[in-house]
Amino acid sequence: MSRCVSRLLALSFALACLLPGAASAQRVHVLAVTGLSGEPAYRLAFEAAVSTLVDSARARWRVADSSLVVLAEDLKGTRLRASGRATREAIGQSFLALSRRVAPGDIVLVFLVGHGSGEGVESRVSLPGPDATAADFAGWVAGFPRQTVVFVNASSGSGDFAQALAGPRRVVVTATRTALERNETRFATPFVRALTTDEADADKDGRVSVLEAFTYAKREVARVYETDKRLLTEHAVISDSTLARSVSFGAPRSTTTDPRAAALVAERSELEAQVATLRGRKDKMSPAAYDAELERLLVQVAQKTQAIRALSGAAKP
Amino acid sequence: MIRRRLLTLVSLVALPACLGAWQDSDPRASVRALVDAGKLDDAIETARRGGPDLAGLLGETLVLRGRLTAADSALKDAVARQATGWRSAAVALAELAARRGDLADATRRAAELTSAYERSPSGWSSSDRVAAGRAYLLQARGNAQAVRSALAAFDAAYASDATNHDARLRAGELLLEKYNAPEAKSSFEDVLRTAPNDARALLGLSRVASFSGDGPATPLLRRSLERNPSLVPAHLALARQYLSAEAYDSATTAVRAALAVDSSSMGAWAMLGAIAWLQADQTLFTQARDAARRLNPRPSEFYVELAEAAVSHRRYGDGIVHAREALALDSSSVRALGILGTNELRTGQIEQGRARLERAFAIDPFNLWHKNTLDLLDQLKTFKTIETPRFRIIAPPEESELLATYLVPLLEEAYDTLAARYRYRPHGPIRFELYRQHADFSVRTMGIAGIGALGVSFGNLLAMDAPSARQRGEFNWGSTAWHELAHAFTLGASGHRVPRWLSEGLSVLEERRARAGWGAGATAEFIAAYGSGRLRPVSQLNDGFVRPRYSGEVQLSYYQASLVCEMIEKEFGQKAIVDMLTAYKDGLTTPAVFARVLKLTPAQLDARFDAWVRARFASPLRSITASDSGKALGGEFVTAMRRGAEYMSRKQADSARIALERAQSLFPDYAGPSSPAQYLAGLAADRGDYREALAQVTRVTTRSETAWEANMMEVQLRERLGDTLGTRAPLERLLWISPYDVALHGKLAELATRAGDHRTALRERRAILALGPPDPIDARYQLARALAASGDVAAARREVLAVLEQAPSFEKGQALLLELRAAQQRSTP
Repeated sequence: MSRCVSRLLALSFALACLLPGAASAQRVHVLAVTGLSGEPAYRLAFEAAVSTLVDSARARWRVADSSLVVLAEDLKGTRLRASGRATREAIGQSFLALSRRVAPGDIVLVFLVGHGSGEGVESRVSLPGPDATAADFAGWVAGFPRQTVVFVNASSGSGDFAQALAGPRRVVVTATRTALERNETRFATPFVRALTTDEADADKDGRVSVLEAFTYAKREVARVYETDKRLLTEHAVISDSTLARSVSFGAPRSTTTDPRAAALVAERSELEAQVATLRGRKDKMSPAAYDAELERLLVQVAQKTQAIRALSGAAKP
Repeated sequence: MIRRRLLTLVSLVALPACLGAWQDSDPRASVRALVDAGKLDDAIETARRGGPDLAGLLGETLVLRGRLTAADSALKDAVARQATGWRSAAVALAELAARRGDLADATRRAAELTSAYERSPSGWSSSDRVAAGRAYLLQARGNAQAVRSALAAFDAAYASDATNHDARLRAGELLLEKYNAPEAKSSFEDVLRTAPNDARALLGLSRVASFSGDGPATPLLRRSLERNPSLVPAHLALARQYLSAEAYDSATTAVRAALAVDSSSMGAWAMLGAIAWLQADQTLFTQARDAARRLNPRPSEFYVELAEAAVSHRRYGDGIVHAREALALDSSSVRALGILGTNELRTGQIEQGRARLERAFAIDPFNLWHKNTLDLLDQLKTFKTIETPRFRIIAPPEESELLATYLVPLLEEAYDTLAARYRYRPHGPIRFELYRQHADFSVRTMGIAGIGALGVSFGNLLAMDAPSARQRGEFNWGSTAWHELAHAFTLGASGHRVPRWLSEGLSVLEERRARAGWGAGATAEFIAAYGSGRLRPVSQLNDGFVRPRYSGEVQLSYYQASLVCEMIEKEFGQKAIVDMLTAYKDGLTTPAVFARVLKLTPAQLDARFDAWVRARFASPLRSITASDSGKALGGEFVTAMRRGAEYMSRKQADSARIALERAQSLFPDYAGPSSPAQYLAGLAADRGDYREALAQVTRVTTRSETAWEANMMEVQLRERLGDTLGTRAPLERLLWISPYDVALHGKLAELATRAGDHRTALRERRAILALGPPDPIDARYQLARALAASGDVAAARREVLAVLEQAPSFEKGQALLLELRAAQQRSTP
């Protein structure tokens, strides 16, 4: 009985997700900052990471230009379409401006890359002019109490930002475990790759959660160090893996006004839920029975997708 | 030069006069001086003249001369009279008992001394303390504390009398025996500071040099013997060096010199027995063995020496047999346990070998080799084993799947090829171990870190660096595996009697035959060395491996040996090689093998090979010369290369091309680092002539097995020229240089699929999975697709179900599942 109830609940939840406007209510806003590079090679690397992130946000996530803020070390000779210089003042103003645009439930992605220094709340990212500290950023993100903030500091020595910025509805990702890991970090590139391609999409649901991106980037950083036969000198940290699992980036979820399609999507969601339930019972079933049931469900899932695509006229994947 | 000779003459003339002066003042010092100078008979005579007070010293000198019965009598007399130094005489008696194999008597005598020393050491003189140290050593088997006490006693002796060199030398010898080379060296150097020509100190330093690879050992050894020609351990050290270099005549001479001094030296008879055994001289062997038995009815040491000699000549099975004989005579011989355990490990008897080494280590916890090996065995437990009927591949779990994906088919191919060529099949499965850390491979091979080799073959046990153990481009792991496997065949076919030059030569030749570009090729250094006579003739080529005269000779000898094998095959047929291996198995010497199989004397073969090389490399030999003892290269080729490089640095591309093309025409086969082809490829690519660039870079990739950058360039050039499918060859080569690049595997998989080469596509898809790719779900999906394309629908379905189990929303996977179901339904009647 209880199982039937939960199935009905799942179905009604899935249908609710498909109502027009329900998905589009949650918008993504991005603030990306490149700090002082010091050397051309670092500048290229920092700008490449931010450029890829911003391009993807625009093209794949459909983030409006007005919600994309890019602050660069230097506006001359940069490949970035920067909104301004990455000064402490400009960053503060950008946060303020964004706080006026956001709606409850929106996602604010903050991405910093550069060279870090300091410790604790005085941890900082090197910027043109006065540096911004972890305490500054903590003050600025306090302006988003009803949004989910994903704060990524991919700079060296960024570890203490995690504690300084901890708070409800926040996921803080740092490239290093402590402020003392001050060698050049490799985290930014694979983390951006994870967010902007399908590689890190472990469950292949078409979107990359912050946790998926973090797991991917951490593994790839380790691989880089191993390939180069160097001791791993950066250990990335994530503050809230539960929240990080539920916050994702990618193409906006499909919406439809066709009730037949909506019903099929709901049925498919229900079948996927059954697959998850079946996996939970795997140890209690004979392998043959499990395989047969798994295949039965997965074929049905696939057929639902096929039917949805047929209705929408979409090509095969 | 003349002046130095005069000085030597003066010192020789002056020495007896000095000795005469000491004799007058202090007969004890005179005896010691004569002993140190190796004049043992004079020393004995002087000691006799000294009367009862010198009985102990007389006894100890008689021991050095091998006159054990007289020594025993004199020593007992000294002890009975409690003459000066009687404690040294007492411990010498204990040592004599140990030499006879009477361990109970030796231990009893030694224990009496150490008990007395421990009760009241204060009245003991410096030489008495040395005696106590020697007594501790007689009780040291399985007793680590006794070793420490011995060292403490030697140190105490030296502290109480800094002129007691014997104390310092014994401390150094003990430290070295327990693998503490730096402190041992310091002890010997202390003595040499006050006695610059002390023979034992020089011998000690020589042993330190051998142990730690710290400079040449032989000159020190020779200096030691010049100072004291009666120093038996120095003669034996020299003999051991000759023996390891397979110079049996010289080794015999050195051993005979030792026996001439001390005919009761067990070490000397044991080494003579080993030399006789290696040369299958039964008469001499029996003579040595009987002499050993007369000295000690249970001469374990004799068989230990045989075992060591067998192992150092790659006859591991015989080493095991002799170590077992030694153990039967002395069940707690650490050396015997160590040799047996180590070689059981080498022949794949892992658990037995481990048990022996654990026992050896329990008896002697200072043994570095045994400790390292036991530590490694603990680590080896975590390795993964992949078994096939012919092979057991043991590799770290992180990469065992990846490496086996490539190694298994390669080794199977090599096995079939080599079995057909050598008409021999190894008995039982071949164990193939791969190590991610070079130091681990080194420990597995030698017991300590520091070996320079990439791989090693003990017959049916092969070990090598995994490709991850080295920087990309340092070696080719495929050719290395092939090389080591070839040893298993040539060692086996010859009953482990093939000399090193031939075994290595065949392995390198087999590498070259396995794949285009694998194996060593001709280099400018080789041509220069050959042209300037710095390489050995065939008849002495083994010395190039075991007694290299200069840095790099071993490496050059590898290639030279492969050329010898190539020439023999070309001029005498492949069967000649098999017949040579058989002849070695029959126990023939190298000249006899040449005579039986090639019908040539060594000199004739030398001449024939020389003519063959000079014909084959006529142009390079004319255009490359060596000067400054081979260190500097010259000649037209080198000049053209230098000119080409200079023009390139000045950006004068056309002039550079002309110079480099000239160099290439002089030495067309050269494709090593900085070869003309490599530069010419770059120049051609820069001017947009991609076809020429491809032609040039292909010269490199098909001749050099580690050319990562050149192969990458070939891939890019072929893609640019539209020959996408042609990129498969360089991609395959790249994988044998380093198999860790996921993108390269993906590229090769796609190309293979496009070309309908499903086997390669599947291998590549499996390799990607084994690498732990960034996107494992997609990698498994791609594997499922490759399986489907290969027609294995059932496996593809299993794989895609596994993918969807993890990611049910994965639409590409869903589509493939439906596709596979439809295909299965179509095929079901």
